[in-house]
Amino acid sequence: MSTSNTLEQVNVIFRDVLDNDSLVITPETRADDVEEWDSLSHIQLIVNIEKHFKVKFLVNEIREWKNVGEMIDCINRKLPA
Amino acid sequence: MKAGDNFSRVFVVDEPVYSGFIQTFHDTNPLHTNDEFARSMGFKSKVMHGNILNGFISYFIGECLPQKNVFILTQEISYSNPVYIGDQLNFSATITEVHESVNVTDIKYKFSKTDGTKVAFGKIKIGLR
Repeated sequence: MSTSNTLEQVNVIFRDVLDNDSLVITPETRADDVEEWDSLSHIQLIVNIEKHFKVKFLVNEIREWKNVGEMIDCINRKLPA
Repeated sequence: MKAGDNFSRVFVVDEPVYSGFIQTFHDTNPLHTNDEFARSMGFKSKVMHGNILNGFISYFIGECLPQKNVFILTQEISYSNPVYIGDQLNFSATITEVHESVNVTDIKYKFSKTDGTKVAFGKIKIGLR
């Protein structure tokens, strides 16, 4: 799956979980950039992304993400080629 | 807790539960307080508030699971049949998925009357700290 396609799908999940229909995320987006992205919604985001893409993350992987781009890269690495 | 684990509990919607709910939340809609009105809507008698069941769910999550370090992230409920005063409800919950990366557990549950009639069902997502 291409990065842009994954980003598009992740954006839909962000809008749904964060209840913000106009939210547009980019690879550079960080939690500090999005008001609704707090600790509990972060958990909801991870769970919904795992369900949507049928992937499982490791605790260390999540801790290393610095922005949405690194999250997208991690998702893409787990998806079948 | 792991996927497939099952938990059950029996709850009764008795007078103290019913009147306590009304005293606390003041929902005195005639469907819930007037037998005649409820019958005019096609029910057997006054219908218990659906959110009483959410109180049972809160008790189950907070008090009946093997771990106390839990909090509810999301909760969904669908109602399929009315509950009347005095009904005994069998609550059954099953762990459907565990998200180890964020310590989140998905649970599906249902409430049934003693004759097997399902009255409500749904999903709960809990976090563990």
